[in-house]
Amino acid sequence: MDTLKVRDAGDVEQVVRSALASEQPLEIIGHGSKRLIGQPMATNALLDLSALNAVTAYEPNELIITVQAGAPLADVLSLIDSRNQQFAFEPINTSRLLGGPDVGTIGGMIGAGLAGPRRIKAGGARDHLLGAHAVSGFGDSFKAGGKVVKNVTGYDLCKLLAGSWGTLAVMTEVTLKVMPRPESERTLALRGLDDVAANRAMTAALGSPFDVSGAAHVPNSAFRAAGESALGDLGSPQQAVTLLRLEGITASAVHRAAALGKVLAPFGAAEILEDAASAAVWSSVRDVEPFAAAGTLGAWPVWRIVCPPASGGALGQALARDTGGDVLYDWGGGLIWAALPPKADAQAALVRARVNAVGGHATLLRASELVRRNVDVFHPQQSGLAGLSERVRHSFDPKIILNRGRLTRGAVA
Amino acid sequence: MTIMMPASDEAVLGRRDAIVAALRAIVPGEGVIDKPAEMLPYESDGLMAYRQPPMVVVLPDTTEQVSRVLKYCFEEGIKVVPRGSGTSLSGGALPLADGVLLGLGKFKRIREIDLDNRVVVTEPGVTNLAISQAVADAGFYYAPDPSSQIACSIGGNVAENSGGVHCLKYGMTTNNVLGCEIVLISGEIIKIGGKSAEAGGYDLMGIITGSEGLLGVITEVTVRILQKPETARALMVGFAEVEAAGECVANIIGAGIIPGGMEMMDKPAIHAAEAFVHAGYPLDVEALLIIELDGPSIEVDELISRVEAIALGCGSTMCRISNSEAERNLFWAGRKAAFPAVGRISPDYLCMDGTIPRGALPKALARIRDLSEKYGLRVANVFHAGDGNLHPLILYDANKPGEMDKAEAFGADILRCCVELGGVLTGEHGVGVEKRDLMPEMFSEIDLNQQQRLKCAFDAQGLLNPGKVFPTLHRCAELGRVHVHGGKLAFPELPRF
Repeated sequence: MDTLKVRDAGDVEQVVRSALASEQPLEIIGHGSKRLIGQPMATNALLDLSALNAVTAYEPNELIITVQAGAPLADVLSLIDSRNQQFAFEPINTSRLLGGPDVGTIGGMIGAGLAGPRRIKAGGARDHLLGAHAVSGFGDSFKAGGKVVKNVTGYDLCKLLAGSWGTLAVMTEVTLKVMPRPESERTLALRGLDDVAANRAMTAALGSPFDVSGAAHVPNSAFRAAGESALGDLGSPQQAVTLLRLEGITASAVHRAAALGKVLAPFGAAEILEDAASAAVWSSVRDVEPFAAAGTLGAWPVWRIVCPPASGGALGQALARDTGGDVLYDWGGGLIWAALPPKADAQAALVRARVNAVGGHATLLRASELVRRNVDVFHPQQSGLAGLSERVRHSFDPKIILNRGRLTRGAVA
Repeated sequence: MTIMMPASDEAVLGRRDAIVAALRAIVPGEGVIDKPAEMLPYESDGLMAYRQPPMVVVLPDTTEQVSRVLKYCFEEGIKVVPRGSGTSLSGGALPLADGVLLGLGKFKRIREIDLDNRVVVTEPGVTNLAISQAVADAGFYYAPDPSSQIACSIGGNVAENSGGVHCLKYGMTTNNVLGCEIVLISGEIIKIGGKSAEAGGYDLMGIITGSEGLLGVITEVTVRILQKPETARALMVGFAEVEAAGECVANIIGAGIIPGGMEMMDKPAIHAAEAFVHAGYPLDVEALLIIELDGPSIEVDELISRVEAIALGCGSTMCRISNSEAERNLFWAGRKAAFPAVGRISPDYLCMDGTIPRGALPKALARIRDLSEKYGLRVANVFHAGDGNLHPLILYDANKPGEMDKAEAFGADILRCCVELGGVLTGEHGVGVEKRDLMPEMFSEIDLNQQQRLKCAFDAQGLLNPGKVFPTLHRCAELGRVHVHGGKLAFPELPRF
């Protein structure tokens, strides 16, 4: 397979135009850390953006950073961390879940749009992408958005680019919002709740004025898989734990932790994890460590289910019970990670029927290539919405040159 | 009026009676308005310098009626202009002489309050403030708070991606909506998103938000609601120089503090506001900041003292801190009444809405001062300082010949200046007709073509709200053509691995 390592946006235009001329679809990659997500593609050339890796401008006081799409995520995170800033949506590092080296680019972070625990408070990748330069499937460089935090000039194309899995346009440079890193964090840990009770506790916490920035639940069964991680180390094994995070200036985090503890008293007494201990647990939740590829459930397919948060506990509990699988809850119940015992269809029919019943969607985030060939990886949409989405795609990439076949099954290269 | 709208379709105008009758068959009774006197209230929106009677007004009250009206217009090739409460400041709901004005004012019901999922499902004609009021007893509110919030509708907020003074910390409309039901021009009803944090697939909710009524007609919205902060306090800080105030804003953010609101006013705005509401604003300063911190008392008190220290370090000449809700509201009263206050000192004013990088504030204000001299028109500046969103108010008298044109030229120069300084044409009011012809200042033809292709995916005939946002309209077939450059290239000169 040809790998075309581009040096600048001009190269990207040239490659896409050539691909158009020869009707050859392209697979778009940065570090390739998320290539195992999506329907298997039948492209025969790689457009490699990893050499577009410069930080164009970082202006901490403007709360923005402009970087090329191939910039390593880890480098950008340490750069903004050095100024006590962060991407507030807590991008997931998928390397443990999928296996493979600990790499990834800014472009991949936006294209996948996978946000971590703080999504409930700070929004997702789509809420932090302010502007982009990209090359469409027409082979034209275009600009979307701007470089300021407040902008309603024209259609907000950035929203479409975030989470589009490289199917609409090849981003070459993006401007992202950065936010101050909180001074302190505290996490309340409640023990021994079943999934439905935990869901209620998280709902109570998120309905309080204490500005909860993380609400997760690890059922006791998931601990058998947690192994050597901050979650695995979390006190007595084999007991479910419900986690609620408070961030801010120290006095405030301490005050709110105490106040929230009182609100949650009916659910039991809470332990409090401070700063580093708290951060370690949340990074473990964010990266779904209990279901790591190298762990005991590494061979199981993993679903990422997004649903109305108050429905999460009952949905996850029923899924785990009926499949013999394990689940992990984030976003107050609004995000369920489900590792299910292997089956030819990764239990897609069952998962989707249950998820549809509560009004959510399920993505088969990890599965073997064979399984992904036979299953809709991304949640099938109703026909009107699917048709509109397809027209939107054609408006960017009429010949389906970019990541052809990644989003929908049956597309032929 | 200096803006050219699309040419009227005489064939459509010639069929007006038949069109009115067909609409009456879909929306019975008073829901169709065709008498000129009764259509008067619909002739303009918040951008009152522009007026145009529509061909006919239709006010459906069900999604099914909206769908049938749109399907009829689609099949008959009739233009449609959607309208919420008509508070747009950019002419987003300006009617067309040959168009149906589709008002959503009868969609006034909140459909569901779901406190466990922290969402409200509402019809689009419900006002922004009514949503907060409906959930206030439970301690919740809807965060975006445009200053027209007692009147503006949530459907209009979605169409315009409205902001407000609190959006630095809590986001704009787009960051606070989860789903919607829209009706396409074809009459097709589409549900997007819902009570989940994210919908699957492409983020169509994100593209509909801020699309200014060009993509579809919103018939239901699901918004997320937040718990009210425990407490809020405000500081009023005066500076002898605008630069010092700008530095103070940058240093607050640089210190990792994101206030609930951070507003700036210049001397003319301070004087106008003080004369109007007597908020106790200092009259001897060049710039006034109103900074609000919200959260638990312990946090607010701590941050207030940090902000006060930063302000002192930047040379503030006065600083007052609110010690009661009444005092906090008084600090805000002047800022919130700044537009009407300016209305008292001038027969007319134009409100501009550019955004600049915060650091460029002193430069922008200096440029505005120069332009003010050049055009011989006064200007008062209010400014969402936290997010760099400028609202220069250009004072003029429409009764003086040529003065409105001069004011518009002045405004256009200010927006060009915003783009030059690295900013954008509009931070929260939308492009509409007002800034339509300035779009090429910010976007190339290729950029604009890509946006218009997206429009084609929703409305290939260009029947929904034409004449807004885009200075030049292209046919979708022309935009969709793929130009193959240079035949079959074999990726020359690129390193391969």
